[in-house]
Amino acid sequence: MSGVDRGAVPSSGTLRSFDFPTVERRKLPSGLDLRVALMNRLPMVSLNLFMRGGEAALGEHRAGLAVLTADALEGGTGKRSGSELAEELERIGARVSADGGWEGTSVALSCLADRLPRAMELLSEMLLEPSFPEEEVTRAREQQLASIRQRAMDPASLASDVALASYYAEGVPYGRPVDGTVVSIGEMSRASMVGYVEANYRPGEGGLVVVGDVEPAEVEQLVTSHLGRWLGAPASRVDFDVKPATRERRVRIVHRPGAVQSEIRVGHVGTARSTPDYYPLSIANMVLGGMFTSRLNLNLREENGFTYGVRSRFTFRSRPGPFQVSTAAGNEVTAPAVREIMHELVRMADEGPTGEEVAAARDYAAGVFGLQLETAGQIAARVSQLVVFGLPDDHFDRYRDAVRSVTTAEAAAAAARHIRPEEVQIVVVGDADVIGDPIRKLEMGTVEILGV
Amino acid sequence: MSRLSLDFQRHRLDNGLKVVLAPDRTVPVVATNLWYGVGSRNEPAGRTGFAHLFEHMMFQGSAHVPKNRHFELIERVGGTLNATTWFDRTNYFETVPSHELELTLWLESDRMGWMLPAMDQAKLDNQRDVVKNEKLQRYDNQPYGDWSERLQRLVYPEDHPYHHTVIGSMADIDAATLDDVASFFRTFYRPNNAVLTIAGDVDPVAALEQVKRYFGDIEPGAPIPPVPGNPELPPLIGETRRDHVVSDVPLPRVIMGFRTPSYASDEFAVAEVARSLLGMGRASRLYRRLVRERRVAKSVVTYVYPLLSGAGLFLVWGTGYPGSDPAVLEEAISEELAALGRAEQHEIDRAIALIETDLVRSLERVAERADLLSMFDLYFDDPGRLNHEVDRLRSVALDRVRSFATDRLGEDNRAVVIYQPEKDR
Repeated sequence: MSGVDRGAVPSSGTLRSFDFPTVERRKLPSGLDLRVALMNRLPMVSLNLFMRGGEAALGEHRAGLAVLTADALEGGTGKRSGSELAEELERIGARVSADGGWEGTSVALSCLADRLPRAMELLSEMLLEPSFPEEEVTRAREQQLASIRQRAMDPASLASDVALASYYAEGVPYGRPVDGTVVSIGEMSRASMVGYVEANYRPGEGGLVVVGDVEPAEVEQLVTSHLGRWLGAPASRVDFDVKPATRERRVRIVHRPGAVQSEIRVGHVGTARSTPDYYPLSIANMVLGGMFTSRLNLNLREENGFTYGVRSRFTFRSRPGPFQVSTAAGNEVTAPAVREIMHELVRMADEGPTGEEVAAARDYAAGVFGLQLETAGQIAARVSQLVVFGLPDDHFDRYRDAVRSVTTAEAAAAAARHIRPEEVQIVVVGDADVIGDPIRKLEMGTVEILGV
Repeated sequence: MSRLSLDFQRHRLDNGLKVVLAPDRTVPVVATNLWYGVGSRNEPAGRTGFAHLFEHMMFQGSAHVPKNRHFELIERVGGTLNATTWFDRTNYFETVPSHELELTLWLESDRMGWMLPAMDQAKLDNQRDVVKNEKLQRYDNQPYGDWSERLQRLVYPEDHPYHHTVIGSMADIDAATLDDVASFFRTFYRPNNAVLTIAGDVDPVAALEQVKRYFGDIEPGAPIPPVPGNPELPPLIGETRRDHVVSDVPLPRVIMGFRTPSYASDEFAVAEVARSLLGMGRASRLYRRLVRERRVAKSVVTYVYPLLSGAGLFLVWGTGYPGSDPAVLEEAISEELAALGRAEQHEIDRAIALIETDLVRSLERVAERADLLSMFDLYFDDPGRLNHEVDRLRSVALDRVRSFATDRLGEDNRAVVIYQPEKDR
């Protein structure tokens, strides 16, 4: 039919550049940092409110309180019960969620644009007048306790929780599960939640991001009329040093008798979002385990068939979050999978990525960035990152250039600094009777077997 | 009435390939999406899980594309890609910056036309291992991981194509051969059994030319053979069937399945509305009653499988609290299902308002648009159905939702899988 040359990769068409949407930023008299971006492909709007504080600012005895409070926030207001509030929101098709996390609490709303005024009215009622009825406090607490039990019996969650506890020194918040412990949650009452909201749900630190088919002036007017009387700054401060549990490489096997597969985590304390190595380190990690054609995935999956998938990740937070390789492998290939992970970590730390690999990762990162600017929710989430980490307003305007300017030497130096194979903690959740000896033979360090 | 008016055009190549083009030039992103009319329902006896294993093989290269090259090329341009296998279909998709559209057409056409020359035993063995690890990770090593297998066995007769799961059995995956790959390819992976949708920043005239150039000379295949086994089945299960599982799970869970009219039937809309009314959102009946008021469930889920062969599957599941009796939870769910017979119009309105927002939100992404257009064209020969989805649901009358409770959700049409933690026994 055509005479198309199938042997040659088609050449690219003409690149259409696309800019990050313009964000209008205003500081409202209440202290609220309001950021609005117009996106009118579809009649949608997404709103993200971030209030700083969160789990990292809580002591161990209060672990999980930020998560729990956010969960119970939809339990009712001075004017209506939780079910009535849900009914009012859902009858206009509005989706609302509140999530407590390490950095703070995020409240998100998405709805059709013409329903924003009503949704804002309900959202502000929920935020400013939560009533925390006792039965809702109980519900949220029982749900969270049950979730903690579920995590302990889910091999993947269990592996991640044990790994984090192995990376961080005792007392460092990042070493515990974000939603707290049976002990801390069991102690929480209505008064703890009311106190948490009173002290921390404040407009002074954080910000409100609104993206969609909206006029910035109208949004400002809406926000002022509903949240204008909301004042103050959060009381909690993040105040802790991040120390590793050890600098010595260790292996922990969590024994699950009869397990047919092993969940594997290999990692250590990583680095903070503010690291000057952010771009080169992100590129080095992509080469290691951050894309499908990464070294780890091509080795463990496409070459050896040890696993369905493997990835590595630096979790960037205000303080150093974890660096971790995660995968799951069949019993007989668990030890070989650990061996290959270590091989790739050593190779990356010692030699760094090649020029060709860096070029591929740069192109991927810069290209994928443009793919994720389609929806109001995606833009709102991005702008919220500026709020959370205090990044400059033009951060995303410069993002692609910053990624493209990473050199091979910079990526290699960042990998050598931040990936330390001799310090990793290796955590495997699986049948120790089957996988124990092969793992010991790898001689990766002392092997400890933990019961469930 | 509808807020949706998505622009699209349809074409059909001489070899039978259906093409849908849906331009929206606001963002320089384009989605290429292919649905093939083959899924786990088409698997012959002794080859459960093969449609999914085959999907993995589609990424192992083709005549002009070496192994791993497909991934490398798409990631190099900053694109994303994947594929999924389900009961009635398999889909393949890439999203790329729009100036790289031609790359996706080259890759997809090369494997549609020239996959087999690249196949060898080592690739099959490798992907067999990957798929077996996928089964271990997602099913066998998971608490409750075998629920779908247990439920499907109760809802569908042994000779029905939905009796077995998409992931299939380890033994069948082990038994697959290169000959199976070749014959599956020749039978099902033909242009006359596929829909190609391109959505996003695309010039329809130029894109159609490119599609013709890349796909036009792929030979069509014979008509697709009928689905094996016996897709016809009675509309109701006829009784309540049970499977009580005592196992290493953290919390009790009750999972109920009911046969529903197929996705191709008008009555499916009733099931969709009933499902949302019962379990979508926090003002839904099950959440309000069981999670919030009575606290007999930690969480509830409802879903209805849009299946084509004979009957769909209406799903309700509730997870209990530590130490609680699953029989109490089951009874509580049953009461709420019966109470659906007293549903009110405002509950339908709420459910549809949520569905509408979720649909519009999903359409913000060109990949989602393309996927839905492909589905509606493959299943119903009508991609334009996308623009009428909300109206279709809105036309469901209250009395039909009410009678759905007795007609479809009764004890004469019920499969119940109960998980009870070993420690609670």
